[in-house]
Amino acid sequence: MKERPLDFGALFGSFDNFMSYTAGGLVFGAIYALIALGYTMVYGVLQLINFAHSEVFMYGTFAVAWTFVFLHGTGRVNQSLGEALPVLLAALVAAMIVSAAIALLLERLAYRPLIKKGAPKLIALISAIGASFALAEAMGLRDRFASWVGLDDNLKNYVVPGKARDVYSNPVSIQPKGLFDIGGYSVTDVDLVVLFAALAMMVALDQFVRRTRFGRAIRATAQDPESAALMGVNSTRVVQLTFLIGGLMAGAAATLYMMKIGSTRQNAGFILGVKAFTAAVMGGIGNLRGALLGGLVLGVMENWGSAVFGSEWKDVVAFVLLVLILLVRPSGLLGESLGKARA
Amino acid sequence: MLLEVEGLCVNYGHIEAIRDITFGVEEGTVTTLIGANGAGKTTTLKTLSGLRKVRAGKVIFDGTDITDMSPEKRVKMGLSQSPEGRGVFPGMTVRENLDMGGFVRRDKAGLAADLDRVMALFPRLNERISQVAGTMSGGEQQMLAIGRALMARPRVVLLDEPSMGLAPKLIQQIFAIIKEINEQGTTVLLVEQNAAQALKAADQAHVLETGELVRSGTGAELAGDDSVRAAYLGGDL
Repeated sequence: MKERPLDFGALFGSFDNFMSYTAGGLVFGAIYALIALGYTMVYGVLQLINFAHSEVFMYGTFAVAWTFVFLHGTGRVNQSLGEALPVLLAALVAAMIVSAAIALLLERLAYRPLIKKGAPKLIALISAIGASFALAEAMGLRDRFASWVGLDDNLKNYVVPGKARDVYSNPVSIQPKGLFDIGGYSVTDVDLVVLFAALAMMVALDQFVRRTRFGRAIRATAQDPESAALMGVNSTRVVQLTFLIGGLMAGAAATLYMMKIGSTRQNAGFILGVKAFTAAVMGGIGNLRGALLGGLVLGVMENWGSAVFGSEWKDVVAFVLLVLILLVRPSGLLGESLGKARA
Repeated sequence: MLLEVEGLCVNYGHIEAIRDITFGVEEGTVTTLIGANGAGKTTTLKTLSGLRKVRAGKVIFDGTDITDMSPEKRVKMGLSQSPEGRGVFPGMTVRENLDMGGFVRRDKAGLAADLDRVMALFPRLNERISQVAGTMSGGEQQMLAIGRALMARPRVVLLDEPSMGLAPKLIQQIFAIIKEINEQGTTVLLVEQNAAQALKAADQAHVLETGELVRSGTGAELAGDDSVRAAYLGGDL
């Protein structure tokens, strides 16, 4: 491999470059942050890392692609954001439903039986890892499922064109349109939608948790589960609600991801899930605003890192950054715990 | 009897935390359970609120068998608790904590009236209404925990060691408020290590020792009982 010198000039050489890497990082950071919410909410309530949350996201990306397939067929077309918008909204709904369903299923099958029996958190974590692999591999074997249920050939070609383990592209490729430049970076309509949709969802969730009756029940359970039960909060419902919210957010993230990237595969959740989990830990796991901050910081920093070290170093930068931040602030940038952060 | 406990047995794993406990709480009274650390007082209260599984025996509330009822339904029926160690929600404001106390209720007017009542009982909470509970003093948190339990508009309120860790002057104040709550018509079941204060406040009293009920009587009777004095009142009262 060719040696590549550290190129600080690429990042800091001009204000334009700097801004362009920053803007690009923010867009990805917003997606990390949306996924991170799922990790952080479940951790806040159960002190459990829902390792399979990456699969909740991945199933959402397929829901998006399939919605496009069913409404457009498999013929590849290019569309502007405006043209794709109606189907995109349908895809958003489908992805949120699919992701939420997977999340609720996980809670019911992989966690609740263990929690009811008072199993240690480590056991729940192992169960989560198992569920994660099972879900990912099941998606990679979807051609078999299609045969078993006797999906007709036409439909089967839709669901599984080529091999099930190949990259699966959205038939409609959304062509971003540059709106204005920040430095050398052309900010597109897709970027703005991703960023603002993610921010809007997070603000909505933040308000839900802070202001509504159910939101208060979630925070109460996170802060003192036994006291919450004494108030008449049904902890099973609260846990379901947190998984549901995490799933909905992951479905939204999946839609934004498919807008931006346009393709997925059965292991697409893994690296994104790890990044999102990193973002959650970085911001302070259990802390909603921390997830937002952690996601954006991670997205920006890894983009900066890829400018300086080369893009293949992106993941190295991301995880070294995690270690460094935790060394300085072990409970994350904003500190731990749902609701222990000031209201 | 508003609350009846019949032959209650509760285990923690293989350890018997309470064995065959029977007592009742008459409506309108203050009843106290006193005993040393680890005697099973807190377990009894947690079981009454539905947080612990019953191995044997029954809990009857206002004629209804609630032994297997969810905590949620018990609160709805009018049985609420201020737990040991206060258990306030540390990241929530005083107001939010009080709102949690009324979590199962939907009657806005009633909730507003009860909020006023709690504010009148604890003017201090009114002053601190927007303060985050975790930053308050122990005494203030205790007031909040009791106020929060009252927000459920309970028929019987269970108070678990309200005097724990408080300065003597504050203890006096808390017991005066317990008396006031009772005079306003709420039945009180009080668990205490501070036997002197508890017996003074109680109409009926029971002594728990290593999971068993060993003595019962009126507060005054037990306060005068030699063995109770020796074991729990440090000799002279």
